[in-house]
Amino acid sequence: MGLATTELRRRPGRFAVATVVLTFFSLLLLLLGGLLDGLFLGSTGAIRAQDADVIVYSSTARDSFLRSRLGSDVRAEVEAVPGVADVGGLGFTLLGATVPGENELADVAVAGYELPPTGVPEPPPAGHAWADRRLEDAGVSIGDTLLVGPSATPIVVDGWVEDTNYLQQGALWTTLDTWRTVQNANRPDAFVPDGVVQVLVVRGDGDLAASIDAATGSTSTLSVDDAVYALPGVASQQSTFNAIIFATLAVVLAVVALFFSLLTLERTGLYGVLKAIGASTARLFGGVVLQAVVVALVAFVAGGLLAWAADAALPGGIPLQLTVSRYVFTFVALIAAAVLGSAVSLRRVTRIDPASAIGSAA
Amino acid sequence: MYLALKEMRRARVRFGLLAGAVGLLVYLILFQQAISTGLIDQFIGALKNQSADVLVYNAQARRNLEGSIVLPEQSAAIAEVEGVAVAAPLGEGTFTVVAGDPDADEQDAVIFGYQLGGPGEPTTLTAGRLPERTGEAVASSRNAADGFDVGDTVTVVPNAGGTATSFTVVGLAEEINYSVAPTLFTDFVGYDAARRAVNPDATDVLPSVVAVHVAEGADPAEVAEAITAAVDGTEALTRQQAVDESPGVSAVRQSFSVILLLFYLVAPLVTGLFFLIVTFQKAGALTLLRAIGAPAGLLVRSLVVQVAAVVVSGAAVAVGLFWLTTRTVIGSISVPFDLGAIGFTVGLVLVLALVTSLAAIRRVLRIEPIAATTGAGVHL
Amino acid sequence: MTTPPADTVADTAPAAGPAALELADVRKVYGAGDTEIVAVDHATLRVGDGEIVALLGPSGSGKTTLLSIAGGLLSATQGRVVVGGEDITGHSAAELTDFRRSKVGFVFQSVNLVPFLTAEENLLVVSELSGARGGARKQAKARAKELLGELGLAHRAGNLPAQLSGGERQRVAIGRALFNGPALVLFDEPTSALDTKIGEQVMELIQAEMRSRHTAAVIVTHDTRMTHYADRTVRIVDGVLGAEPVEGDLAAH
Ligand SMILES: Nc1ncnc2c1ncn2[C@@H]1O[C@H](COP(=O)(O)OP(=O)(O)O)[C@@H](O)[C@H]1O
Ligand SMILES: [Mg+2]
Repeated sequence: MGLATTELRRRPGRFAVATVVLTFFSLLLLLLGGLLDGLFLGSTGAIRAQDADVIVYSSTARDSFLRSRLGSDVRAEVEAVPGVADVGGLGFTLLGATVPGENELADVAVAGYELPPTGVPEPPPAGHAWADRRLEDAGVSIGDTLLVGPSATPIVVDGWVEDTNYLQQGALWTTLDTWRTVQNANRPDAFVPDGVVQVLVVRGDGDLAASIDAATGSTSTLSVDDAVYALPGVASQQSTFNAIIFATLAVVLAVVALFFSLLTLERTGLYGVLKAIGASTARLFGGVVLQAVVVALVAFVAGGLLAWAADAALPGGIPLQLTVSRYVFTFVALIAAAVLGSAVSLRRVTRIDPASAIGSAA
Repeated sequence: MYLALKEMRRARVRFGLLAGAVGLLVYLILFQQAISTGLIDQFIGALKNQSADVLVYNAQARRNLEGSIVLPEQSAAIAEVEGVAVAAPLGEGTFTVVAGDPDADEQDAVIFGYQLGGPGEPTTLTAGRLPERTGEAVASSRNAADGFDVGDTVTVVPNAGGTATSFTVVGLAEEINYSVAPTLFTDFVGYDAARRAVNPDATDVLPSVVAVHVAEGADPAEVAEAITAAVDGTEALTRQQAVDESPGVSAVRQSFSVILLLFYLVAPLVTGLFFLIVTFQKAGALTLLRAIGAPAGLLVRSLVVQVAAVVVSGAAVAVGLFWLTTRTVIGSISVPFDLGAIGFTVGLVLVLALVTSLAAIRRVLRIEPIAATTGAGVHL
Repeated sequence: MTTPPADTVADTAPAAGPAALELADVRKVYGAGDTEIVAVDHATLRVGDGEIVALLGPSGSGKTTLLSIAGGLLSATQGRVVVGGEDITGHSAAELTDFRRSKVGFVFQSVNLVPFLTAEENLLVVSELSGARGGARKQAKARAKELLGELGLAHRAGNLPAQLSGGERQRVAIGRALFNGPALVLFDEPTSALDTKIGEQVMELIQAEMRSRHTAAVIVTHDTRMTHYADRTVRIVDGVLGAEPVEGDLAAH
């Protein structure tokens, strides 16, 4: 092992190629993952934040918030279901909003709620909202009055909340009444009468989904996790991006295997000598693995910095979001690929005959 | 040829790994190109393949059809702008429908309502005819098998208090999907009925955008600018702008172009560096060959043959995998098998791989046959 | 074992009759100015058809340089080089490449074989370089088999160099050098990497092969024990070809 680290220190150039290539791959993996996370987190924040057990849709809505409508009659039925503890209404309207002092409109999702989601305070007064911090990028500050939608309905921003966006639009958390005012002023074609909400969020115990749907006969109830994946595009985005990420990892595996087998080939003679003087195959192979891991580590750090720089340099339209867990995932994946990829060299190291060291001047 | 092929045969694992890595990279490039174009086409095909020269959005809608409604006074003002020949309502909405068999499962569909014969009608009819009266519709040909074929009936599932409304499919048009859902184009009256079926409380069904035919000889871009300037609270876009600037489309395009750029860099980089290392490692053999009379050109040709063999065999694997992928549907996106695009990608990767192999080629050209007499720094 | 001929004096003037190699007043200077090194100075040497000449000299005396000039690997700074009747003095790099491929055979000091080719393929590479196709390729294959048999390597034909012993490798290299049927084969210390016994076997083999083909050879060595395999020994010291006979030759008188 001492030999492997010494070689890394004395001959870094020998590992430069593998390091450069893996740096590119770690950048690629981080960007792909960051894009996936950006799409996922920015689309689903409002639902993931729900501090509830299930979400109830009208059965005709096909698990779409915007198309779901539940009246007070259904709400009463849900509240009566055994095991149900708390019930709150929820509704979203996607609109553009004029921000004071800004030319560009901000994309907002006005959300009316009763049961506070995680990290969101109790509903603010009528006409006021808790804004998602992402709206800061659009120039919004606390105390601003946003003019929402074609009818320019005013909403005052009272404070920030985090990670609560809906379909890539910045959430404005308001009372149900304020939400209805916004919806009805701006979307007369999708009028929501008093007492009507899009969905109900429910806290309670037991098999709530089944018992609620049985009791109402007109609802479709999903767990919060399922509701997240029922959002348009989210499930197929996840599966497509994950397929790309794992295929890229397979390439990383092949590339590590390739470059370390080239290195091992170069050292055939040296290994013969080392074996002749008593080094075991395990020890030599351990050295190869160690070197692969160090290369992967350096590539991860370099790729991570590049990804961070890319995040800063890329235009704002790209929903790239670099999370700690994505860094951890990429790190673990790269190290695993390095270990597995270098294993290809095991066969060659094993096959080297210590006797070859003797009498092979050429 | 002889040397190149013999060497590859003797080092199957190495060349196989390289071809495999290049193959997977090419596959990923093909796949991502296809889903980004597929995604874009299936998101906004409806905008691309309709007849309006200019679409006028509510400025607040941020170019998002779903978020746009044009008020009656705005519609009236648009019709008055210089260069506008016809201005007509165009409505868009996503609905829960039962298509084809009345017992079929409910599914999502997008319905566009336009003024029959006016701007906003589909331009890519492949079967049947355009609707001629209320209750008839043209459907996206991609979804014909899902209950949207000519002759099928599509019924909008009403919400409590609403009345069901149905459409008969009388024609199919290509690439007219919106938001990756099955899409129908019908007249505005039918669209109004569908809206009211799901929103029985609706006070008024307004057009999502106003579709405009420009006067003969007028430039759509100029007319669009004139409308935006003249009518308060509107943003007029040419058809192409509406496609390119649809929310999500430019983000998708930019995101994929960054990723694709990296893939296009990495595949040749891996190839070029591999051959550079291999060339260094076999410098002794190359020197010997030069000394016993191999022209440098022959050794360079060998190298080029190897690069081409690796890229081409990798690409063959990639195209095979990709073909299998196009047989299946990814999420709800169908991936087209476009030979032109495939040829372009493979050709580009090959050219880039040869460019990055120039370093190895230079190394070959720099070999001095005389070095065979010293064997400096060379081993078997 | 062959006894060296009586005339062991390096002829400084080319004699009449066919010659495998003629060097006339060849001079090779490396570098320029202060760092100038005269590696070979006014060398004149004639190797007759089928003649085996040993070139003996200490390390750094210019043996390899002289050999390289004779084989068209290096151009002389001055003088004339004629190999098998072909004057290569003014040859371009491309002409020299053609010349090396078709007219001479080489056995180098260190690397002699292509590591990813088998023993047989290392011979065939010569005909492949000359663009052998179809029938010629078949013929070449048969010839390679025959030659390897002659060199006692029939059973090793399919082995890679790494699987051969040092002596076997050198024998494959000899086969490779002979494969294009050259008029002249140049050996640069062919036994330096081998122990004495194997070295002698290789020298015997070289001698036998040259004789049976009537091929001329120049064998560079710094080992006086190897010179008796040659018809004639030429000494080189500091780049100058010497005429004095060596001990072994004197004893033969
Ligand atoms: N490429 C070169 N550049 C400069 N000097 C060289 C070069 N090759 C050989 N020499 C010098 O020329 C002289 C003769 O070298 P060489 O022919 O290799 O000797 P030998 O083969 O007899 O050991 C030596 O002094 C050597 O250092
Ligand atoms: Mg020498």
